[in-house]
Amino acid sequence: MADPSATPDPADAVPRSADREPHTGTPRWVKVFAVVGALLILLLVVMLLAGGHGPGRHTGSRGDAPSSAVIEHSA
Amino acid sequence: MAMPPRLRKLALTAHVASSVGWLGAVAAFLALSIVGLASNDPQAVRAVYVAMDVSVWYVLLPFSVASLLTGLVQSLGTSWGLLRHYWVVIKLVMTVFATVVLMLYTETLAYLAHRANDTSSLTVDVDDLTRASPVLHAGAALVLLVVATTLSVYKPRGLTRYGRRKQHGVLQP
Repeated sequence: MADPSATPDPADAVPRSADREPHTGTPRWVKVFAVVGALLILLLVVMLLAGGHGPGRHTGSRGDAPSSAVIEHSA
Repeated sequence: MAMPPRLRKLALTAHVASSVGWLGAVAAFLALSIVGLASNDPQAVRAVYVAMDVSVWYVLLPFSVASLLTGLVQSLGTSWGLLRHYWVVIKLVMTVFATVVLMLYTETLAYLAHRANDTSSLTVDVDDLTRASPVLHAGAALVLLVVATTLSVYKPRGLTRYGRRKQHGVLQP
């Protein structure tokens, strides 16, 4: 009896068509991902340079002004 | 280096479990952060920020690192490879990015949890704790992880330049 574990697992085996596809350049979906990713990174860089984002921004280490809305702790 | 079938299934199970666990943990974190942003109850806000800090260290970070490591094992140990298919490369970049941002964000959460846990003061500055930042970070992480999961399921076609060279046998396996 054949070992069932030797059967290729469709969940992680590379389909033959995917490994033997013709050279047609970069797929369109990759280009879309690249454009969206580049725009998001650009947005992130602008926010970092503007000082509105980034590590330490929320820790008060950059002189965050204390809020005026102080609520009495009921405990 | 191809893994034997049983080891490959074990690695795949570990990868799926850690990735799905990460996604679920981010969803729970998003719910907490929304409560922290919307609640008017100072005690609830304090509790939420302490809970978020704990969940990052004991759930989110372990799951994210596990997802990254098991993903590396899964790709290197199967014929998919790490750099042969665009979907694998993009998923790797997204996972590394999300893990690094999460690690950096622990500083913010530690600060917020410290402020929330500060019982030395009789007053709590709720506006100082109530921020949109955790909601935005968790929302972005959720979108990113859903996209990564979709890539894993659909496995869209597309060989990288390296993958094409391997396909034509220029590089030895």
